[in-house]
Amino acid sequence: MENKDMPLTLVEQVKAIPGGEHVEVCYSCGTCVSKCLIQQKAEPDYNPRRLLRMVMMGMREEAFASPTTWMCSECDLCYASCPQEIHISGVIAAVKQLAVEAGYQTPLETVSVDEGLCSGCGICVMACPYEAPHLIEKEADGVMDRFSEVDAEKCMGCGICVAACPIGAIARPGVSNQEIVNQISIKNKNGKPSLVVFICDWSLRVEEDEKILESYPDNVRVIHIPCSGRIDPQMALMALRSGIDGVMVCGCAPGQCHFIRGTYVSDCKINLLGMMMGQMQLADGRVKFVQIGTQDRGRIQNEIDMMLASLEKEAV
Amino acid sequence: MVDAARHPNIDVRTYTQVERVEGFVGNFKVQLREKARYVNADRCNGCGDCAKVCPIEVPNSFELNLAPRKAAYISMSQSVPLLYTIDQDACIHCYKCVEACGPLDAIDFSQEDKVVWEDIGAIVTATGFNHFDPSAIPEFGYGRFPNVITAMEMERLNNSAGPTVGDLIRPSDRKNPKRVAIINCVGSRDKRFNPWCSNFCCMYAIKNAVLLKQMYPDIELSIYYIDIRTPSKGYEEFYDRARQMGIKFIQGRPGMITEDAQTRNLFVQSEDITLGKVVEHEYDLVMLNQAAVPQPDVDDVSSVLNVQQSPGGWFMEYHPKLRPVDSPTDGIFFAGACQGPKDIPASVASGSATAARAGRILHSDEWEIEPIIAEVWEDRCVSADGKKCGICAKACPYGAIEVEVGKAAVVTTAKCHGCGGCVAECPHNAITQLHYTDAQILAQIRALLADKPEEKVFAFRCHWCSYGGADLAGTSHFEYSANERGIRVMCSARMDTDFIYEAYRLGAGAVLYSGCHPQDCHYITGQLVGASRAERLQKIFEKMGMSPGRFRVEWISAAEGDKYARVINEMQKVIDDLGGEKLMQEIETLRPDMEKRARRMYEVPDVTSASDYSDTMVLAMTVEGGKDGK
Repeated sequence: MENKDMPLTLVEQVKAIPGGEHVEVCYSCGTCVSKCLIQQKAEPDYNPRRLLRMVMMGMREEAFASPTTWMCSECDLCYASCPQEIHISGVIAAVKQLAVEAGYQTPLETVSVDEGLCSGCGICVMACPYEAPHLIEKEADGVMDRFSEVDAEKCMGCGICVAACPIGAIARPGVSNQEIVNQISIKNKNGKPSLVVFICDWSLRVEEDEKILESYPDNVRVIHIPCSGRIDPQMALMALRSGIDGVMVCGCAPGQCHFIRGTYVSDCKINLLGMMMGQMQLADGRVKFVQIGTQDRGRIQNEIDMMLASLEKEAV
Repeated sequence: MVDAARHPNIDVRTYTQVERVEGFVGNFKVQLREKARYVNADRCNGCGDCAKVCPIEVPNSFELNLAPRKAAYISMSQSVPLLYTIDQDACIHCYKCVEACGPLDAIDFSQEDKVVWEDIGAIVTATGFNHFDPSAIPEFGYGRFPNVITAMEMERLNNSAGPTVGDLIRPSDRKNPKRVAIINCVGSRDKRFNPWCSNFCCMYAIKNAVLLKQMYPDIELSIYYIDIRTPSKGYEEFYDRARQMGIKFIQGRPGMITEDAQTRNLFVQSEDITLGKVVEHEYDLVMLNQAAVPQPDVDDVSSVLNVQQSPGGWFMEYHPKLRPVDSPTDGIFFAGACQGPKDIPASVASGSATAARAGRILHSDEWEIEPIIAEVWEDRCVSADGKKCGICAKACPYGAIEVEVGKAAVVTTAKCHGCGGCVAECPHNAITQLHYTDAQILAQIRALLADKPEEKVFAFRCHWCSYGGADLAGTSHFEYSANERGIRVMCSARMDTDFIYEAYRLGAGAVLYSGCHPQDCHYITGQLVGASRAERLQKIFEKMGMSPGRFRVEWISAAEGDKYARVINEMQKVIDDLGGEKLMQEIETLRPDMEKRARRMYEVPDVTSASDYSDTMVLAMTVEGGKDGK
């Protein structure tokens, strides 16, 4: 009774791709949507539950054009809570693969490589959680040379590679090195210790916590970054050199990083920086890395207040 | 309960454990351990003076540890019989209770567990269910956030006999909550924990919400749900009433509960599916409506009773639709939620049903069973010669066969249900099944394959499923090959390898081995016995070089008439594709091997006489059968 000439339906195509097998098990409970931060923070139309529904109902164009297809960063917070044990990011990746094959393009801001600077070292290839950069060989000025090339469909714009690149050959619009460095300045210390807080866009779930950040006086400077992995230890050193008393980097808790492993990268870097500062006999505790979990409502305020208090104590 | 305790024919034994069950329907012998209470049951009048003076307090598990109890205690105030117990794990042996008991002299620290044997006619299992522990779900924060409580804790806080005398307070500050959320499907409909729907929680959530709304009219109530299931009489109307009372129903399973560290209020984040966006609401108290799960000791109880468990651990009934309160073992019944999540009306109904079923046994002197039971030829059983075998006992899904080395296997007739698995499995052909003897089945095979066997698709069908499927194919007028010939046995477990060899020896074109789907088997695990044998056969035939498709194993339910027709047609196509000459050649090549493998069967006493039939006699039988119109 099977007709081999019939084209596969969307759901059959998705199920055929590894990761997309369990799409039909979804009973639309909405847990994934309430776990995910993208709808609340970035894109009101983002909704994994609805994307799975579109796949089941064969709404091909709508599914391919949906922001959900492109914005999922595979953090898998939803996978841990899904009562039907659907690997939702795997399903979304399958839809994305089909969308790319159908000629759709990512609407996200992605990184670009300056080939004039790129030395082809391959550090970015190792740093990227999404396997977006890869090395290519091509002729430049009559010689064969190696460059990094970024697959735009895979890039989620976390900026981990930007921080990793030793010569600053990679940039992402909005969070280039220069743009972040320009923000490191304290207008008015008011005789209090000054603090720069680099905060990952995804570590605070609650609006109140965001509001608390805005309420701090001028001696606390808050700089938003897409991921704590975007922070280069040099930036912390630059801040300290410019006379600022403390630097706090704030990312997601282990296992909850929006960009899979940005928080691990940052954890390693900032710890290393702390060790280096110890060797340089600089005051300990002037640089701190904080990991905020999904259920840590109100913790950011505690952390900043504690850091300010300890900086004040040191100053005395 | 009090009525039951006072009834002259009812003997209530609490604090007593069933340790062993032997025997069979109407003749069970049960070993009971009456645990020591350290209180003399004949003297204790339940006054509670011992508890009053007892200086030890431990958490009260009946109150879900929300209140303390003494080391001398009753589990709850309505306990029947009203007898105190001294908890030896907590007792410090100060003997104040002995003093308080005074002239009654009911407390006896020298008491020991008593083991007694009782003759029992029928057993009703009513061990109930347990609650899922929601601390396994980290996102709900149970155990970490004091104001996240379970449904049973809510039940105690709300109960006029409970620790707060019916005043609903929240644990963190003992204030009356103004905003309460109820979250459904906590641990149920959740493949990470329990895939089943716990059946009663939707109504339970609505009941609790309505109750709270009546007690505290200004309370704000929300119920988070995936689906609201109200499938019985009056249930939907109750749901409707709850909506009209102003209880908010939010479709969307919360993904996260967070807590404000100062106020201890809770923020529930969920997608409001109707609105299509994520909403966060603040509550004073959150109740998790947790899943119903089997009792923690269900495995021990099922091994004591020798009854099976369904996936998930619930006791398995004989048939989910037709015999919902019977266990597959005659004389053992299941009442209430030990068999699966049930609400009160369903539990009462199943309790009454078990009473009627058990009454049938207790009121009859004789117990009628199907006459298709297994019988052992003692002179052929190798166990009688002192050899270790016991294959038949392993194949029996009912534990009806006992094998002791040095004695022939014994079939307990009352326990045998007649699947025939032991008959087919016995390597020495030492067991036979009445009305389905090897000789009878062989006679059928020979009759049906007497004429042009190479053109025939020969089907072995089990009585309960694939025979029904074949029947349905006929009554539904699904067209299938007229060359199909089939016989019926009770279970795929009865389909002896010898029968298959014999069919091929006689020159059958193709053979179908069919039975129930594994979960549908009428004989609990009979299909598994049949399936493993079929798998073995498939390998043997493959090795012999038989063309693929000439031996086929299919599990066909009684509702799958179309599948039966399709399978037969596909097998007919295999025969057609092979073509007459090639098929004949293959049959001839394999025949000596088949004969060799089937030979041992001819040693069976009544088969010898059956094989004495001349070919002409077999032919004559077919022709006569043909006259009847079939």
